[in-house]
Amino acid sequence: MSSESLSSRRNARIFVPIVTSPLGYRIRGSWFYRFIIFPVGQILLFIIAGTLLLTALSYLLAAAVPEPRPGIVLADQISRQLPGMILSGISLGFVYAMIALGYTLVYGVLKFINFAHSEIFMVGSIVGFEFMRRLFDSGSLGAWNPVILIITVVLAGMLVSGLLAVVIERVAYRPLRGAPRLVPLITAIGISFLIQDGVRAIEALTRNDFNLTYPTNQISWLNTPIPMTFNGAVAGGFNLGGTSFDEIGADGVAYDEFFLGETAHDTLTVGGITLGGTPIRARDVSVGETEFETLTIGERNLEDISGASNVVNIRVTSIIIVVGAMLMLVVLNWFVNGTKTGRGIRAVSQDQSTAGLMGINVNRMVSITFFVGGAFGGAAGALFGLNVGTVTPYVGFIPGLKAFTAAVLGGIGNITGALLGGLTLGLIEAFLNGILAYFPALGQRYTDIFAFSVLILILIFRPSGLLGERVDEKV
Amino acid sequence: MTTSTASPRENFRAWLFRPQVAGPLALLYVVIATALLLIQNRSSLWFPLMNICFVPLFLLSPLVVISAPLPSRLKLSAILFMLVILMPIIGMINTSYLELAIQISIFAGLALGLNIVVGFAGLLDLGYVAFFAVGAYLWGMLTSSAPTVFNINGWLLPNWTFYIIIFVAIAAAGIVGVLLGLPVLRLRGDYLAIVTLGFGEVIRVLARNADAPTNFTNGSQGLHNIGKPPLPGFATDITSGISGALGIRMDNPSVVAQQLLFYFIAIVMLVGLIIVARRLQHSPIGRAWAAIREDEVAAIAMGVPLVKMKLLAFATGASFAGAIGVLYAAKQTFIDPQSFVLLQSITVLAMVIVGGMGSIKGVILGAIIVTLLDLHILTNLSLQLNALKNIDFVVPILNFHIRDIPQQLEPAKYQPFVFGLILVLMMIFRPAGLLPEAHRKLELQKTGVAPEDDPNVLAEAIELGEGN
Amino acid sequence: MLLEINNLIKSFGGIRAVRDVSINIAENSISSIIGPNGAGKTTLFNLLTGIYTPDSGTISFNGRSLIGLRPDQVNARGVSRTFQSIRLFPTMTVLENVMVGMHSRLKLSVIQTLLRPKAFYVQEDHVQQKASDLLHFVGLSGQGDELARNLPYGDQRRVEIARALASDPKLILLDEPTAGMNPNESDSATALFRRIRDELGVTVVLIEHDMRVVMGISEHIDVLDYGQKIADGTPAEIRANPRVIEAYLGRRAAGTTESTGVTDGSVA
Repeated sequence: MSSESLSSRRNARIFVPIVTSPLGYRIRGSWFYRFIIFPVGQILLFIIAGTLLLTALSYLLAAAVPEPRPGIVLADQISRQLPGMILSGISLGFVYAMIALGYTLVYGVLKFINFAHSEIFMVGSIVGFEFMRRLFDSGSLGAWNPVILIITVVLAGMLVSGLLAVVIERVAYRPLRGAPRLVPLITAIGISFLIQDGVRAIEALTRNDFNLTYPTNQISWLNTPIPMTFNGAVAGGFNLGGTSFDEIGADGVAYDEFFLGETAHDTLTVGGITLGGTPIRARDVSVGETEFETLTIGERNLEDISGASNVVNIRVTSIIIVVGAMLMLVVLNWFVNGTKTGRGIRAVSQDQSTAGLMGINVNRMVSITFFVGGAFGGAAGALFGLNVGTVTPYVGFIPGLKAFTAAVLGGIGNITGALLGGLTLGLIEAFLNGILAYFPALGQRYTDIFAFSVLILILIFRPSGLLGERVDEKV
Repeated sequence: MTTSTASPRENFRAWLFRPQVAGPLALLYVVIATALLLIQNRSSLWFPLMNICFVPLFLLSPLVVISAPLPSRLKLSAILFMLVILMPIIGMINTSYLELAIQISIFAGLALGLNIVVGFAGLLDLGYVAFFAVGAYLWGMLTSSAPTVFNINGWLLPNWTFYIIIFVAIAAAGIVGVLLGLPVLRLRGDYLAIVTLGFGEVIRVLARNADAPTNFTNGSQGLHNIGKPPLPGFATDITSGISGALGIRMDNPSVVAQQLLFYFIAIVMLVGLIIVARRLQHSPIGRAWAAIREDEVAAIAMGVPLVKMKLLAFATGASFAGAIGVLYAAKQTFIDPQSFVLLQSITVLAMVIVGGMGSIKGVILGAIIVTLLDLHILTNLSLQLNALKNIDFVVPILNFHIRDIPQQLEPAKYQPFVFGLILVLMMIFRPAGLLPEAHRKLELQKTGVAPEDDPNVLAEAIELGEGN
Repeated sequence: MLLEINNLIKSFGGIRAVRDVSINIAENSISSIIGPNGAGKTTLFNLLTGIYTPDSGTISFNGRSLIGLRPDQVNARGVSRTFQSIRLFPTMTVLENVMVGMHSRLKLSVIQTLLRPKAFYVQEDHVQQKASDLLHFVGLSGQGDELARNLPYGDQRRVEIARALASDPKLILLDEPTAGMNPNESDSATALFRRIRDELGVTVVLIEHDMRVVMGISEHIDVLDYGQKIADGTPAEIRANPRVIEAYLGRRAAGTTESTGVTDGSVA
């Protein structure tokens, strides 16, 4: 873990003009600057830069390939989808970043990749579901203030996931400290399967099903999108191959299964699509060249997804993810760089035995690190669940793998790196999702492969990641 | 206290392992295990449970004989008898046992290959099943009657090419291994694990998606009607002849004959792979791999070219999987992307770990145990539970109705749980595995095997237990 | 000169671990490189053996440059080494450890390994015999079938030396080979270093903190401090050199036989 990575010193160069004045120095030294303005500024700066870069690249692509399919002008489609792509990229990026923090924190102190972290994330999403579902079953869900409800759901996910991570470390990893590297790694893989099937058993026994749908449709506040008018933009969180409604048929969607031509436009609503047995909410599925076996249509106004209006619907959950993640990152930064415990964790990450000799309780620091990492995974899981709607015990694998990619992309062990890596990956994925749909030979089905390709390329060309990792093998 | 109790126990061990004692005991074991297998009453309520106990006993008997301190000639004949005569006859009586033996051989081959990568060279490969998929899809695409581009254009191969395609698959999977290995083998161990895991997923997604625009793999529909190695005409006659002579009733001799053909192909391949693995292990190449596994920096400083030797390990392991993949596709006659999920890689890894990383005998034991667990024990547990539920069996003293066990807890559904548990427990309590690799004593003695020794390849494969 | 190092420079980030070092090693000599902890000695060895690549400078061994070669290629050229913190292959036997050391001298072909013609067995016999002989040479006869990690510390150092000698090097680099030994052990180790040169004709370079060993055995000494060479010469010259005395005594107590566990050089 790069101890100073989130603190002001390392990246102060960006803010040099502000900081060189005498007043600047005073501000820079202040708590408020170090723990609020600087990290938030850093994140915003990166989001803006990343978005601008990707937008520019998209239009470059549009210039190179103006009409990937007859009658479809790529530049127009990009313009229409841009706000949606950016927002979903950012919220996806924050989810990845929060999971990636778990990998990175643990790697920092133990130099070990906690393979089971993706399941910690999954547990967070299941706990979030259980919490809301139980409220719903008891009939008190509607009585909760939505903000407090969401905070409580996330906190519940954090608590359970954090404790689970601590227990796993105690039981499975601690006895293996000092064993050859393969040993804890294989243990972690085993743990990962144990948790998956354990959760599945519990859910199957108590609910007789392990496809768990958050009762978010009971909370109108969560479901009402915030319309925002953009010039020429449409269909924010919902991406129907990027085309307006009338063009879907021409776009290669199998008509026999998803036949929109005969439906009365003003009554068609879209809510939940079941894709090959795994229920996924429609708003997260982009209907490009996807094959539908069964398509359940539930509850969303057609106007929201049609090309008719110039409204982008900002989803409330996306905003919750962004705000929640920012808040938590600020707290984490303060915790690691501004508290005594954080200093202990940093010391352990530098040199375990020396830290022990200096009177730091290494085991306690490791437990705390696992708790914090697990809590972030759990929070990500709960937010992810709120956003996606339906979770299963197997939901952790792909986001976990991508978050790991994000951690490596940023430089594993480096907190800022995990954040930037997550955002980068999220944005790239959202842009690819939006744009690949227009290329018949590629299609969106290859976006998952893309994350792995990124991983492999980074590891080959810059194994220490964007911001670098502390590698010190002494010879 | 420990010394006082250990001493009689050790005396007992010493007594037990004397050839005069252990040899006959081992043979007695084989006889009893075979007898127990044959006297089971199939209509009994407790048949699945008995099956759970007796089938593993029987299938472990080759390993028992190998481990026994018997003269190698006797060992060799005993093993040959079991593999070539006893097992086929048992298989004619009950083809499900033959099926198990084939599956075990297939997975043992896979585990041997992964053992080269993980056990010998210490490279954790979590996408191993990808190479298995390469072999399986190679044969599948070239013979399946699914509407692939090969079928539509009439490029399908005749079934006898199976024996050629095995070697093509060895080369193809090896090349894929090198291509993947070249970039990723420079990475540290834990990165390598995750990249290979990603690669395994990539291959699966490719298999799922490579049905459009050109249909290579038939996508998620999978490839059906994959070709089997042709059955010579006399095989069925011989099979029914033998079964007739022994008084075994067979419903469909040609199906049994086909299974027997697969069994013999699988056994021959397995023996070949054992010999290859063993010869590699006990050679400068094997020592270089072990050195890399123990300490990469020291190994390269001592003149071991890291990347080259790692690539060799990776490609060899991949070739094993490729060859076995062809057999698997032919045996199953149907493959789809779901046959090559991460759980398969983990299953094979569990075999290597249960047996003992780096130990060939251990890995085969691991393959037997894990395959039995996967295909036999969990399934039979479910059968037993269902049988008990059907008669509303009540556990005596506890007064517990078996019927009350929820359907969702059916053991057959919890393979991943069981495998995960195995991995964790083995790593914490016995990281070297059940049969760890024994260290060869080499100092000051001439090499154990003289050049003109062992004309019989099977003998070498069998003697892997006494490599020291 | 067997080994000529000219103007070698290596930095890690902002830290210059080796600055402009030039050292010559004569064939068939025993030399030492000394200096306080963190002076860049081990980094120098790592540069020589290809584990690090120098930023600039030349390394010429036997008239050919070693720059840009991988460690295994350097080993094949005839430069072998031991490590400051023992790096044996712990769960391999002692004999196997030594056999691995011969890797760069062996003919390896997968086909040969699989088909096992007579030549394969001839080579294996030779490898075994030679490894056994080397163990005898370093005084570990009869211990070849032990696991390396089960040997006492001093013997592990000897195994490392045997392993390093297995590749028939022209030059052997010993990184603090007597660290952690008592005076008796280091005396017998010193005798072994001499025999390596006298009986096997291998040039020996030591990094050493034990001045008794250094002064007793070295024909030539180079002194590094803060990554720079501050002196070189015979033991008598070095003993009298004011800069050397300052480097040692100026910063630390006069104890010259101390050996700390702290790695020097790589991070400095």
